[in-house]
Amino acid sequence: MTELLITLDNLSIGYNGQPVLTGLSLSITRASFTAILGANGSGKSTLLKTLLGLLPPVAGRIDIASAGVPLTFGYVPQSNQFDPVYLLTAFEVALMGAYGRIRVGHLIPPAERAFTRECLRAVGAEDFSHKRFAELSGGQQQRVLIARALTTRPDVLVLDEPTAGVDREATTAVLEFITEICKEKKITVLLVTHDFSAVRHHAEKVIWLHEGKVYQGAVDELLTTERMAEIFEIGMG
Amino acid sequence: METLQQILSIDFLLRNSLYTSVLVGFACPLVGVFLVMRRLVFMGVALPQISSTGVAIALSLPLWLGFKLTEHGSHSAHALAFVGSITFSLTAILVLAFMERRGRGQPEGRLGSAYVVAAALSILVLSKNPYGEIGWLDMLKGEVITISNFDLVLTAATLTLVLAALGLFHKELLLVSFDREMAIILRKNVVFWDSLLYLLIGLTVSMAVLSVGPLIAFGFLLIPALAAHQYARNMRQFTLLASLIGGATAFLGFWIAYRWDLPVGPTDVVLLGVLYAIGWLTAKLLQGD
Repeated sequence: MTELLITLDNLSIGYNGQPVLTGLSLSITRASFTAILGANGSGKSTLLKTLLGLLPPVAGRIDIASAGVPLTFGYVPQSNQFDPVYLLTAFEVALMGAYGRIRVGHLIPPAERAFTRECLRAVGAEDFSHKRFAELSGGQQQRVLIARALTTRPDVLVLDEPTAGVDREATTAVLEFITEICKEKKITVLLVTHDFSAVRHHAEKVIWLHEGKVYQGAVDELLTTERMAEIFEIGMG
Repeated sequence: METLQQILSIDFLLRNSLYTSVLVGFACPLVGVFLVMRRLVFMGVALPQISSTGVAIALSLPLWLGFKLTEHGSHSAHALAFVGSITFSLTAILVLAFMERRGRGQPEGRLGSAYVVAAALSILVLSKNPYGEIGWLDMLKGEVITISNFDLVLTAATLTLVLAALGLFHKELLLVSFDREMAIILRKNVVFWDSLLYLLIGLTVSMAVLSVGPLIAFGFLLIPALAAHQYARNMRQFTLLASLIGGATAFLGFWIAYRWDLPVGPTDVVLLGVLYAIGWLTAKLLQGD
């Protein structure tokens, strides 16, 4: 039986008590790959932040746990949000993912450093791990942030437009790698993107936020020409 | 060289001033690194001034209430000044940081206003205080001369505490500063770690203002960190280099001031400024700009 990891029940999300989206009910199962699609301002980021616990829900219920144990999220934000004033190397940034497991006031155990190196190697970032994070290209920074998300040993990997500003070739490489590693380690993936092509190739399910409405289903059901025309027509009213 | 031998001698008359300057020189940049990284440079300028206003008001309080402090520089006066300094520093940093996080208004405007009002207020308060006339105005100008053994021990103990906390909680403080969202996702109590960082900044500023005055305090808080940032390749280098620049300049500044009979505070700060300018020019030349 497929294990439910995240359940939203009649959820309203928004800022300062003002809802952006209402009546969200959906479920996400373990080891699935779900894409969250939608135009700018459709509520994708608000939904993501609510799931990650960065924003409280306005109303409704949200269950995020596996057998009563809180889930660990590995979050890959957009790389351009970091201040270059921080003189952190790529390795130091990736290592931060392990901070959740290291007790306050304790030194970082060598095993965590070794695991971080392993994650950097897995994403192909080992060669530039000693370089300043701020000086890396957008694609390289994304790889480091994915490595950081993996060092959290996540149940759910959440990616916020990870391929924004990255060329097509690098996008394909990153998403293929994520699909592969998440299947292997049974990690659930939530991918926020504008990229329909990437969704068609990699995701299994889609949550599509369009003009205050939420559409969800399997990729091959929802992203058909007929269904998409129907959604856009409904949206345009 | 003769001057150097004199100030290095263990029975040097102004040894406490030298030790305190060097301690402040080493410790302030460690906190300054966080001010630079968090883009709170203006706070680094305003806080020491606000802290010194706290000192001025605390020292004037007994006078306003009709009490008389029997001896300038006594432990009770020092304790009172410390309470005033830490109260004003912490209140200011918490209020300013809270307003900054809300993201409304103009942070630079608030900090600039806080700085100028605090500077004027401290001069006004002390000008009507006989104790202030004697010694505290000198301290506020950066004249590091009369530092008792008690002051030295208190400064050393406080700065050691700050240093220990920065070392022990470095990863939490760095994570919360660099990526707040990630810290929340990793279930770190960001309000607690922010508050701890502000407490450490407030303690360092208060202690530095009390020992060496606001001029040296904000000089050492910011300039070594800004100078080190040009050359450091990683966080460890950044922190160590900033602290080394601060400590070495404090020693060198004291030596120059003693040799040519100059006030220590302004000498230290001008020296820091010169080193920063040389560092900046060298960095630009090396980059080929």
